Amino acid sequence: MNGFLRIVASERLKLSKSYIWILLLISPLLSLVIGVFLSLESFGAANRLEEYALLASTMSSFHAMLFLPILTGILSAFVCRYEHAGGGWKQLLTLPVSRVSLYLAKFSVIAILLALTQLLFLVAVIAAAASHGITDGLPWRLLLTSIGSGWLACLPLAALQLFVSISWSSFAAPLVINVMLTIPNMLIVNSDKIGPYYPWAQPMLAMLSFSDQDFGAFALPLETLLITVTGSFTLFLVIGLLYFKRKEI
Amino acid sequence: MNEWIIETKGLSKRYKGRYAVSNLNLKIAKGDIYGFLGPNGAGKTTTIRMLLGLIKPSNGSVHIFGKALNKERLSILRRVGSLVEYPSYYGHLSATDNLEAIRRIIEAPKARIAEVLSIVGLSKEARRPVKGFSLGMKQRLGIASALLGNPELLLLDEPTNGLDPSGILEIRELIKQMPKQHGITVLISSHLLSEVELTAGTVGIIRQGELVFQDTIANLHQQAQGSMSLVVSDPEQAHITLRQHGIEAVHRGNTLLLEQTSDHTVARIVRTLVERKHDIYRVEEKRKTLEELFLQIVGEGTQL
Repeated sequence: MNGFLRIVASERLKLSKSYIWILLLISPLLSLVIGVFLSLESFGAANRLEEYALLASTMSSFHAMLFLPILTGILSAFVCRYEHAGGGWKQLLTLPVSRVSLYLAKFSVIAILLALTQLLFLVAVIAAAASHGITDGLPWRLLLTSIGSGWLACLPLAALQLFVSISWSSFAAPLVINVMLTIPNMLIVNSDKIGPYYPWAQPMLAMLSFSDQDFGAFALPLETLLITVTGSFTLFLVIGLLYFKRKEI
Repeated sequence: MNEWIIETKGLSKRYKGRYAVSNLNLKIAKGDIYGFLGPNGAGKTTTIRMLLGLIKPSNGSVHIFGKALNKERLSILRRVGSLVEYPSYYGHLSATDNLEAIRRIIEAPKARIAEVLSIVGLSKEARRPVKGFSLGMKQRLGIASALLGNPELLLLDEPTNGLDPSGILEIRELIKQMPKQHGITVLISSHLLSEVELTAGTVGIIRQGELVFQDTIANLHQQAQGSMSLVVSDPEQAHITLRQHGIEAVHRGNTLLLEQTSDHTVARIVRTLVERKHDIYRVEEKRKTLEELFLQIVGEGTQL
């Protein structure tokens, strides 16, 4: 545990001198712009709560369908990038740290950065709602659950992408594949057959399962989603760990 | 009594049926500087990677500080500093931050960063991003990283790669100081004998994955000992004369070759021959340089 925390401290230094934080801002900012300019009146919402639901689900769709899975891939590639470029794996593993703690530290850094972006998105939703005059009566519990489960649903994808990024010394290749597999999300989220098992679609399914739309995979109960998320997360993390433990550096 | 800092037994690494390193039995004593020599591709780096646990041996064992590497890797690595193949660095960070990234993991005192930077002569460049460094400067930074944790054992893989002659000299002096000042044991690999000849106490020579020589540098000098050649007027008669005086020589053309080259023996031979009215045209010493011996050791078996 001690080793793990020491590596995280070291990772923080490496990231703090990079421009990664700009990436964290992109999606919340774009969502904010979409939210502010969304014309709620044209949808003929019955009351403020419905207006809010419309606003939140529109912003979440943009954020979770494309940006969140792509960001997950970028972050995974990013935490491996310096190590691949400068021979860092070799150096890190000649220090007194176990491979498991190094792997888990890398994963935690991705998870923390994703959590930060989710918090920024939360701020964006509140700000967009305020711009439409919705300041009180926000369904906080619903909002926080959506943000939180969206974050959880990114973790299996993060584990998968971390595995790919570690095994592939190229920075771009895992990213391209990630983007290619993210784009079909628009179709896949509507399928109740593939949707629940497609890692790239999980964040959106998780974030939107709290809205009142029910079509395709959205109709799935949260429990099913959580089981898939937990199961695939465990699977990808274990595969990645086993691979990294055996990897020849 | 087990005083070897590094001891490997039958250490082997096989890649697709071909042995990159085979049956290596290294023995490195405390406080020694061990020169690990071999041509490119002989298995030096593969061996060092196995010593650090970066790759797993196919066969054999590694003991460092008397502990088995496969069981107590972390407690061993805590006492080892290393530089493998080429220096590792984070280009977007300054030299200081590069060391800080390592320091946070090994928990060395903060003041140690400035210390190691001044040891390798990088104090002035400490604030610059490392991506702008020359290869020689990156190499120095790599050595600084290896020294950061005050190691008891240093494994340096071709540490003078990319350094200019004055840099090579500096690093050589630095390495020489290690055992004397801090009791550090050093393993330094190189493909050039001249690189370690002046620093190492013991050399191991590896050829095609096999250790073909392992002894003190003094014994290597012994092997490199030359011979005396005498050109005389009547070699046949001289040969017989010398044999009567109990001196073995080889007769070849009008030359006599002698193994003994001590001043005393040479003087005695010359005196004897002159007394017997031989004309001596030339007395030459043929010295094999260490480099020639090294090339001969390394070259054996590689010719088709």
